[in-house]
Amino acid sequence: MRKFALAGNPNSGKTTLFNSLTGSTAHVGNWPGVTVDKRDGVYKKTPEPVAIVDLPGIYSLSPYTPEEVISRNYILDEKPNCVINIVDATNLERNLYLTTQLLEIDVPVVVALNMMDVVEKAGDKIDVKALEQKLGVPVVRISALKEIGLKELMERAYEVSEGERDGSSVLVDTPLAHLIGDVKIALKGQGVLNPLFHAVKLVENDSIEAEMHRELAPMVEEFKATFEDDLFGDDFEAIIADGRYKYISKNFAQTVTHKEKDRTKMTPSDRADKVLTHKVWGIPIFLAILFAIFHLTFSEDFLYLGAIFHLPTLEELGLDVENYGVRWLACLYDGAVFSPGVILNNIWNNMLVGELFGRLGGLVEESAMSPWAIGLINNGIFDGISSVLSFLPPILTLFLFFSILEDSGYMARIAFILDRMFRRFGLSGRAFMPMIMGFGCSVPAMINTRTLADEKEKTATIRVIPFFSCGAKLPILTAVAGAIVAYFGVGNADAITFGMYVLGIVVAIVSVLLMRNTSLKGETPPFIMELPAYHAPQFKNLMAHLWDKTKHFVKKAFTIILASTIVIWFLSHFSFSWDFLEDEAINDSILANLSKLVQPLFTPLGFGSQLGAYGWVFVVAVVAGLIAKENVIATFATLAACLMAVVGMDFGDLAIEAEDGIDAVQAMVMATGVSIPALISFIAFNMTTIPCFAAVGTAKAELDGKKRYTGTLLFWLASSYVVGAMVYTIGSWWWTLFLWLAAIALTVTGIVLWNRYGKNGRNAIWARGKSS
Amino acid sequence: MGAWEIILIVACALLVGGVIAARIVRRAKGKPTCDCGCDCAHCVGCAHASNEKTKR
Repeated sequence: MRKFALAGNPNSGKTTLFNSLTGSTAHVGNWPGVTVDKRDGVYKKTPEPVAIVDLPGIYSLSPYTPEEVISRNYILDEKPNCVINIVDATNLERNLYLTTQLLEIDVPVVVALNMMDVVEKAGDKIDVKALEQKLGVPVVRISALKEIGLKELMERAYEVSEGERDGSSVLVDTPLAHLIGDVKIALKGQGVLNPLFHAVKLVENDSIEAEMHRELAPMVEEFKATFEDDLFGDDFEAIIADGRYKYISKNFAQTVTHKEKDRTKMTPSDRADKVLTHKVWGIPIFLAILFAIFHLTFSEDFLYLGAIFHLPTLEELGLDVENYGVRWLACLYDGAVFSPGVILNNIWNNMLVGELFGRLGGLVEESAMSPWAIGLINNGIFDGISSVLSFLPPILTLFLFFSILEDSGYMARIAFILDRMFRRFGLSGRAFMPMIMGFGCSVPAMINTRTLADEKEKTATIRVIPFFSCGAKLPILTAVAGAIVAYFGVGNADAITFGMYVLGIVVAIVSVLLMRNTSLKGETPPFIMELPAYHAPQFKNLMAHLWDKTKHFVKKAFTIILASTIVIWFLSHFSFSWDFLEDEAINDSILANLSKLVQPLFTPLGFGSQLGAYGWVFVVAVVAGLIAKENVIATFATLAACLMAVVGMDFGDLAIEAEDGIDAVQAMVMATGVSIPALISFIAFNMTTIPCFAAVGTAKAELDGKKRYTGTLLFWLASSYVVGAMVYTIGSWWWTLFLWLAAIALTVTGIVLWNRYGKNGRNAIWARGKSS
Repeated sequence: MGAWEIILIVACALLVGGVIAARIVRRAKGKPTCDCGCDCAHCVGCAHASNEKTKR
């Protein structure tokens, strides 16, 4: 099968084109650096099917970061039959820089002028025929987003892939042309593939090339000794880059005709940026947007209308809350108008999933099966699954808003506005992009750290990514926050959830500050990022994101989570002598006995020995969460029914009608007497501790060396323990705040003194001692 | 123990065993085990992340 590679600058639309050609749903975002690895698909509308390979975005074939190495290696080593060079037509001159490099490789090339619809809308014109003549390869106008011109593009690519093409250089008019020609002949004589490309790179002082062709180094150096440029001296990389840009502006600038317009007039993107990236208001606006998202997702009092106007409940209005129609109304309003996320949640849980599992549970109860089998199905399977599925609506609502921010181009701005703040802590704004991806899933977020060239910055970023609460942790946050509000009648669920997200960000910042001043000290790399233009989020993209999330969430619920709840049910209903235990006797189960061994460790965090006989359920939840974080609530749901039997309560005793997960946490509160500070500490601990197995495996693959990996595991354990203990003690005894502040002050002083006078400090006492 | 109970135990054992076996097989094949379903742009990276590292 023929292979076509998609190559181009970051954020030029390669993955959008890939999705359109192959029918894939690869993640697309409106910021540079979304794709960090190659991926394959098949295009079937050519005479014979063609393999399409989507490559990470690159500005040039001189790679600096790992994902750029992947693109270069693929084009040079895998010998695709054609390279489709995606060029952002709204930024032609800069994009053509890479094109001039691709042309030097002996491979058929087709240039796809993407975003032509945007160019035409702006009233600009590009003379495609003239461009094609100057480049010497086919040029096709396309819009990957609107799927315009794709058929022609693939036809032209298929056509050129049938032949071969010798590389050509735009550097023929430069003073270096002679040297490049000589090196090319020498390389060709040695049978090197793509000799022109390698010759240019060798002259450029490319480190990879110099290593590969050491024998040619004397010849190149001999020439270079006699050559000096007036402007760039002996910086040959700069001389060649200058040669390319000169050629581009001389030959290609005239193919573009810009509409007469007032250049001083700001574009809508500029106007939006003036406000959204303001140096003072940028961060408060970001926090306000984040809070608005949480309010729209979790608030049971939309715009606080209920609190402001003291709206009546349905019962106060004299409605029968058991009536089917009123139950639907109760999904939208009950003493307050619910936020869109809560409305979806109510419909899903009260009218659909709750109803379904309720009926299924009833059928099982009425069956002739033995009590243990009924317990396993209803408590072990149905309660575990339904408690996790109950969180699908808030997860999807939250991710819909995050996808809108990403697709609109605002996420890239957040990286920009946070760069100044991050820089003070030792990270560049670029590190923020993987962190924000961590709100979705830590695994792709950790893989995205490949865009960070500095190894220490990368390590620090990987370590704090789990603190950006992922979708799997959302059920913990929502259920525990909901239970606090429902059982204790304290606060708002949206404010608690938002607060926990902010706590995660604060812990991440403090951790980075600590690491970059101690074990991971180093220069903060410069942050250069192209800000994409704002555009309205694409419905298709948003739906693709949501579909992906739904698919994987449901798949996980019916595989790993279901398996975990079954194991937990068995372990909680059998003793070490393999006798079956009734619900009332679960305190003698294998699970209880094993958990009780570890339980004292969590005493400083509020959910340890002080909780008495049944406190071990929190330990089980924490351990099960290491497999998948959704397991925390699934574990609660599985054990809740048993505990209810133990303490002689049933769900009807609970104060409110709530989702399964919230009910389950309330059951835990009733059975164990856990306090509010301990519950918040439990959330904080789960948010900052060792993430799921998948994330741990990814961290191991991405980190440089075993030492860094072990350090990372210890860091996660230590940070979660300290954060949990801090939350619990301050929440329980306010005066301990001063003890913690004193401990922080001492730590900071110690670090400052060490950095100044320690072994490698600026005024190192030991070093001075040695020199004197 | 009735037929339903036996079926239930066998089904549970198969499910738990199947999930564990699937994870082991996926890991052995070098595929990711995250909740991204292996079809996102990032996921293919897990598979040959170590190879690329060696290449560099």
